[in-house]
Amino acid sequence: MAAKLDFDVIVIGSGAGGAPIAHELARQQKSVLVLEKGPLFLSQSQATDGLSDFKRDELYAYGAEKRLTHPQVENRQAAFFSSHVEPDINDEPHIYRDANGKDRATIEGYTAQVIGGGTQIYGGVSLRFTERDLMLRTFNAGRTDMAGTDPAGDIEREARDWPLPYVELEKYYCKAEKLVGINGEQGNQLKPFTQKDTYQRPLAPNSISRYAYDGMLYTGKGKGPGGSDVLPYRTPLAVITEDHAPSGRTIISVPDDIKTSYVNRFGDPLGFKSSTWNALLAPIRNAPNLSIHTNCTVIQLASDGTRVTEVRYIDPSGQERLARGKIVVVACSAIESIRLLKLSAGLDSTGFGRILDQQNDLLGKYFLTHAFGGASSVMPERSDKTRSLDADWATDYCATDDFLKAMRLWAGAVVYNNTSDQALPLALGRTHSATDLDTLWHGFANDFGLIGQGMVDFIDNDMGRGLSVSFMANQVPQKDNRIELHPTVKDKWNRPVAYIIKNWHSHDKYLMDTLALECANILRAGGNATHDYPIRGFGGVYNGENGIARIANHILGGARFGSDPRDSVLDPDCRVWGFDNLYVTDGAFMPTSGGANPTLTIEANAFRVADKIGGRL
Amino acid sequence: MKIIPNNDQYILNHCTRFLTRRNTDARHNFGQYDPSDPRARICEAWRFPIIDSYAGAADEDSHAFNKVTFVYPADVAEAPDQVGVTGTFANLYELIPLAPVRFLDAPTGYFAVSLRIPKGRAYRYKFIVGGKAVLDPVNPQQVREANGHAWSRFFTHLYTQPLSFESWELSILERLVDHIMPFRTKEGQDFLQFFYRQLDQQQKEQQYVLSYRLDQSIGIVNFIDNLVAREERHHLIDYKICLSMIAGIIRKRRPGIEPARASKEIFIDLYGEMASGNVMDWDTSKYNDPAYFLQMLRRHAFTGAFSHPKYGGNASALGWRYLADRFRDAKGATLFDWGRAIEQPLGTNPDYHG
Repeated sequence: MAAKLDFDVIVIGSGAGGAPIAHELARQQKSVLVLEKGPLFLSQSQATDGLSDFKRDELYAYGAEKRLTHPQVENRQAAFFSSHVEPDINDEPHIYRDANGKDRATIEGYTAQVIGGGTQIYGGVSLRFTERDLMLRTFNAGRTDMAGTDPAGDIEREARDWPLPYVELEKYYCKAEKLVGINGEQGNQLKPFTQKDTYQRPLAPNSISRYAYDGMLYTGKGKGPGGSDVLPYRTPLAVITEDHAPSGRTIISVPDDIKTSYVNRFGDPLGFKSSTWNALLAPIRNAPNLSIHTNCTVIQLASDGTRVTEVRYIDPSGQERLARGKIVVVACSAIESIRLLKLSAGLDSTGFGRILDQQNDLLGKYFLTHAFGGASSVMPERSDKTRSLDADWATDYCATDDFLKAMRLWAGAVVYNNTSDQALPLALGRTHSATDLDTLWHGFANDFGLIGQGMVDFIDNDMGRGLSVSFMANQVPQKDNRIELHPTVKDKWNRPVAYIIKNWHSHDKYLMDTLALECANILRAGGNATHDYPIRGFGGVYNGENGIARIANHILGGARFGSDPRDSVLDPDCRVWGFDNLYVTDGAFMPTSGGANPTLTIEANAFRVADKIGGRL
Repeated sequence: MKIIPNNDQYILNHCTRFLTRRNTDARHNFGQYDPSDPRARICEAWRFPIIDSYAGAADEDSHAFNKVTFVYPADVAEAPDQVGVTGTFANLYELIPLAPVRFLDAPTGYFAVSLRIPKGRAYRYKFIVGGKAVLDPVNPQQVREANGHAWSRFFTHLYTQPLSFESWELSILERLVDHIMPFRTKEGQDFLQFFYRQLDQQQKEQQYVLSYRLDQSIGIVNFIDNLVAREERHHLIDYKICLSMIAGIIRKRRPGIEPARASKEIFIDLYGEMASGNVMDWDTSKYNDPAYFLQMLRRHAFTGAFSHPKYGGNASALGWRYLADRFRDAKGATLFDWGRAIEQPLGTNPDYHG
């Protein structure tokens, strides 16, 4: 039987930006095709033999050492490690330009190539953005207090309000929280919630997190409206802790056993992590109107006038195929989505390319990630850190207007403690002194003093006692921060790879320094009663060896949405200006990157766009 | 031979990413291949055949087996009519057919079969393609018989026999690893001895790993031996050159003593010199930087001590047990309860099956 070619909707990518749309439209009985580059990895309950393609196995998840062989890059011959769901960077590198203007290949900027995308292996932090995050142009208009860190007035010029008020997004936050399956607490969050019970109950926090909690209590004193205290809350995490009716997932008899350190960076063999696959697609995977083609790489969007008519892709055997959709949604992670649009433009410069060009020069520009960093220390008392999910406590005191004005910051951040980092032994060695994903094992391998008793002391000191507190903050949008196609480096399909050109703004650095200090203060305050507990280190990612490339797997912007076609790539519904039926719904749509991890916002926005698309079909 | 019913989706999930491509550059050669070897174009060729966990019927001893999937990739346009596999895991010359793998409405050119194969062993095999015996075109592991005849080879989880190193190499490697890892500190030794002593004969036989030699304290050297036979094959040459050079240097410093039996001080000095990148009598024309070798060895040793025992190190989870024993709360309960998350029979988790 010939494969079906025509669909109401084709969704490219099955992660946070794609799966909600496929889920929603399939439930509305539309015919939907999901094209996913990665494999269909199953949880135990989904697999016929009861074995998952994800394992609680550090080596399986982290990958063996390989060497970069691209002759064009400065770091050729460097070691790299890609997990079993990250791309091999000899096959599909991201190239960035380093501080000396040299090109380097990096694993940064990838989430995961697997059904469910990055939501399979992420830490699950599922925070909303604040009302302020969506209104940063308005908030910063006319400010004069940031001249020292923004002498050129970039913030006032480049900040954009989202063409979408918080109240409209809020409906979809509620929807996403319920459908995806998230545990956490609404109380003490400084974001408005219109519905109660959008979260499942959190499990008891790890005992080491009490230091972070105490520190947050102390530093949040008097930082709320009218001098009230800002209190910590349990970080919303996309892991179910109770039976989850929307996805039909049921919990094990001892729910506390869900707490293992195989959460962040691991796919969940038991399916409790609320990846978009587990939560949104797997429950409807046998619906006759939903087709999910995995191991398929889209290579071109072909158009006729303002309509995308064909999606061309390479199937698992390497043969080219096509599919046609009334609507085409691109959601394969911002860098790769921009790359796909640019590649399609290059393959048809007088058609697809001309329409893009006619709008403006903004595709790929204002690429964003997060300004992030934090502080770490070794706490007085040891705990079993393997009994945790990931972030236990969070606080919003660094996101209030008063705080931002007092600290002369353009935008705020959430602060939370990472409980599960370095809970497992290989993680301890792998990330010892490593500042980014390209220098894993360097610190450990070079710390020659860690031998015999020295190794014992290292493990004694770090294991079960290390605690870090992180911030996740808005990065200043800059037009020069951009995604291009690399002129010479090609992927395994012989297509130009993505070229990441980015730098940190002076205000970003100031903001990271400021917020890292807050994180350090939390640990200082929490470690003992006199609030002067010693800190091991703190700082923003810009300080790292490859700090310029750091992306935190938060891949945002580059196709921002807006109401003015001259000033944005997407319209307020995330439809590409100039095209009738082409949408982009991964993190690329964001004009500012928000003061929190982006996944929940990408999911909420995708549910919103699904309603818009549903109304057209 | 038990053939495990499979689906095409599983096969494609585990081979598309590595094998399917258009670019023909030798991008994946870090020194492990001859420049003309077509494997240099393939990502992580070592993953083949695919060694996975096995789950059979309730009355089977599932954890004693791996599911091993043989994949033969052919050009779709020139795909052979029949592909089979024959090997030492079954009666030799018993031909087990591979089934063509399809995607949607078309053949993919891939042929595959999954078999239930006991853990802890190495096997030789060949594909039979159009009536001719051929080596696995993907798997880089090959062995040559005394008569010069070559076979493809693979080994299953928990393999504990040397594949890469001679016994004198293993002995020197053991000494180097002992110096790095904490298992030869007094406390470490006490822990290991206690662990082994408390086992009675039956427990020893029931232990997940049966055949570790006790002189290999927790199997790190075995892990490295396996690792450079498979995942990090490109580093085999580093070990071969450096271990040989180290043996020569020790012989020169302590004539008449078997290098692996040299005193602890000899190894302490050597470690320090290697860390500094400056070893007397080190031939930099053979291997430029001894510190580089040491960095790699440090990573491998640590990984071997604490990765899942199926990779051949961390024997009987002794690395994890060491940490679990070391870290306890005031009431004596462990603060590294690794077994809670890990599958049985190694760990105690009732829900996760490995």
